[in-house]
Amino acid sequence: MRAPRWVDLSLALMLLASVPAAAGELLAPGKAFRARAKAVDARTVTVRFEIAPGYYLYRDKFRFAVEPGALAPAAVDIPRGATKEDPFFGRVETFRRNVSVRLTLPESVGRGPVTIVADSQGCADIGVCFPPFRQELSVTLSAPRPGRG
Amino acid sequence: VQPVPKPTRRRALFAVAGILAGAAGVASFYALFAPKPGAGVPVLALSLPDVAGREQALEQWRGKVLVVNFWATWCAPCREEIPDFVRLQDELGAKGLQFVGIAIDQADKVGQFQKEFSINYPLLIGGYGAIELSRALGNRLGALPFTALVGRDGDVAYVHMGPLKEAQLRALANKLL
Repeated sequence: MRAPRWVDLSLALMLLASVPAAAGELLAPGKAFRARAKAVDARTVTVRFEIAPGYYLYRDKFRFAVEPGALAPAAVDIPRGATKEDPFFGRVETFRRNVSVRLTLPESVGRGPVTIVADSQGCADIGVCFPPFRQELSVTLSAPRPGRG
Repeated sequence: VQPVPKPTRRRALFAVAGILAGAAGVASFYALFAPKPGAGVPVLALSLPDVAGREQALEQWRGKVLVVNFWATWCAPCREEIPDFVRLQDELGAKGLQFVGIAIDQADKVGQFQKEFSINYPLLIGGYGAIELSRALGNRLGALPFTALVGRDGDVAYVHMGPLKEAQLRALANKLL
């Protein structure tokens, strides 16, 4: 039975050769760009994205909102990324490994639990991109604000 | 590349896809063994606006071999393979090959791209809803680029997530032409 054995061997070799870069190995965006939020004080939250090796996020694609109320943050502080020249969009900045974004929440957000709605968009080095991806992060604003409450 | 099997030719397609994918080094366990991605999805029933806002039914290309490419201007790897598509459209268009781009994007950006890069095939605007169609075709994670080859009979024959090598795409197209 030479033919079947040859087929088995070639199939096995194919799989071995191709698995590391395989599409099937692609992480879901929730795993490739996992975010968590941490309260710094009553009005400041950091959102940290852990970026899997071989993946990157675009700096200009981050969007944040605060729930309840779909409130826009008062300020969004994103560090500078690595720059690269994009033939269609010009200079773009990207992040690898991790990035921490500092959000200043609007005045109207009280103490207690809030949800940070974090949209991000990124790609994998194997040559695919994900559409903007949403993560909803719970955080409790517990620290009393100086001069208040 | 994932072959989309018809029951009677499943084994043959499986073997062909294995050989092609292995040669290109882009096969995966998932690609080889995923159960029937895209089988029975009526791609030709789709109708989407082009960059000028005119509704375009994919049915108008029935009888041709269709390469339906899900892409976006914000997806650099998607843009990189488009010159290959333009070349193949030129080369094989007369034989009945028809590329159709479905952009998960805004019409103005796509229009700008179409002019700038002299795209010689229709670009339709899918919006994020089109991602769901690609999911139905087996694009489990909704990633781009994602490409489906539809035979002259209107059935999806192959689907592939990620960039396609020009030679690989030419071989698949020639099989269907």
